[in-house]
Amino acid sequence: MKPGAFEYFAPSTVAEAINLLDRYGDEAKIIAGGQSLVPMMNFRLARPEVLIDINRIKELDYIREKGDELLIGALTRERDLESSPLVQERCPILAKAVSFIGHFPIRTRGTIGGSLVHADPSAEIPTAILGLDARMKVVGPSGERTLEPEEFFLSYLTTSLEPSEILVEVKIPALPKKAGWSFVELSRRQGDFAIVGVASVLFMGQGGVCKEARISLGGIASTPIRAGEAEELLAGQILNEALIEKAGQKAAEATDPDSDYHASAEYRRDMARVFVQRGLKEAWNRVKGGQ
Amino acid sequence: MKIEGKHKFQASQKQIWDLFMDQRHLEKALPGCEKMEEREPGKYDVLLKIGIAAVKGTYRGKMEVVDPEPPKRYRLIGEGSGSPGFVKGEAVIELSQQDQDTIVSYQGEMQVGGLIAGIGQRMIGGIARMMVGQFFKKMEKELKSQQ
Repeated sequence: MKPGAFEYFAPSTVAEAINLLDRYGDEAKIIAGGQSLVPMMNFRLARPEVLIDINRIKELDYIREKGDELLIGALTRERDLESSPLVQERCPILAKAVSFIGHFPIRTRGTIGGSLVHADPSAEIPTAILGLDARMKVVGPSGERTLEPEEFFLSYLTTSLEPSEILVEVKIPALPKKAGWSFVELSRRQGDFAIVGVASVLFMGQGGVCKEARISLGGIASTPIRAGEAEELLAGQILNEALIEKAGQKAAEATDPDSDYHASAEYRRDMARVFVQRGLKEAWNRVKGGQ
Repeated sequence: MKIEGKHKFQASQKQIWDLFMDQRHLEKALPGCEKMEEREPGKYDVLLKIGIAAVKGTYRGKMEVVDPEPPKRYRLIGEGSGSPGFVKGEAVIELSQQDQDTIVSYQGEMQVGGLIAGIGQRMIGGIARMMVGQFFKKMEKELKSQQ
């Protein structure tokens, strides 16, 4: 299978890429790792008239630490996130989430920015980013904007990015040393998109009290979603198994998944419960030892 | 696939009916609407430019208001086609007054075919719901610009 004809540009700076986007608008499509776009083009589902290849924009490929934040360039490969000592130390949940993506060769090509703008709600990076309260920096002809995940993800494969804007950086607050975390997911086969994916973060206070809990679920709605009621249930509490079981139930009750050929709505909801419980237990086990 | 929901407007039933029957407001509120012309009362030709993920396209189509019972209820039938495929749909739209407000509820069935169906019904349903949401938000704006 081969894609339709397209015009090809390979800018070497962000400014050049924005100029091209500004000129061609929604006729153009940016290609980064191409792990979602190329299959869509080969099936002729997507027929962009213009491809803007950003792989030569070196200024978009970096992982840096600035104060309590990790700054990650949009062109950073998934494999680089997974193997970065800085990510493993300051934001290990992201490295773990990325390890679930597809297979090794896919991760050597796929990028953090590509996964975010593709906005598949079953994908691991969007789910993790929502649980980490990260920010997306996007740049367009009229300047830059910083978006929260809730503003960024609108629906299946749809973000609030304008046709002439490009995602340049993801800012992720680093996790404190005492935070518990986990990323768990259910998929048909290893490497498939998640039926349910759960990112959990527990911020701990004195005496085993959970100050704040974050639970982000992928695969069960049109965007990744936070389990707000379950988070509230855990906040300010000393954790125990019964409380975690209840949080899983609350998280599942708040979901309204659709059925498709991968899984029925009932199964998805029940697996949301199981994987929130499993994820929270794993996160809790990580901090229990350190008390 | 089924699409249903409701939206509350702070205006009378009559005001909302007039708003929903006015081509000038519909043209501004329909997501991706490039052009909308009223051929005869209640029958419109529309040109929509819609992109779902990288699947972008222009759809030409018709929309028709059927069995109007002002200011309470009507049926809306629509169809459109373009290079990425076709969309067909029908919905019952009901307006009910609640104190000062009017609730607009809709219940419809939508079919999608051609290339675009390859994206998957679950995703298209989700995106359709988002567009309906955007439409109602813009209609609210149109209402405010009138008041």
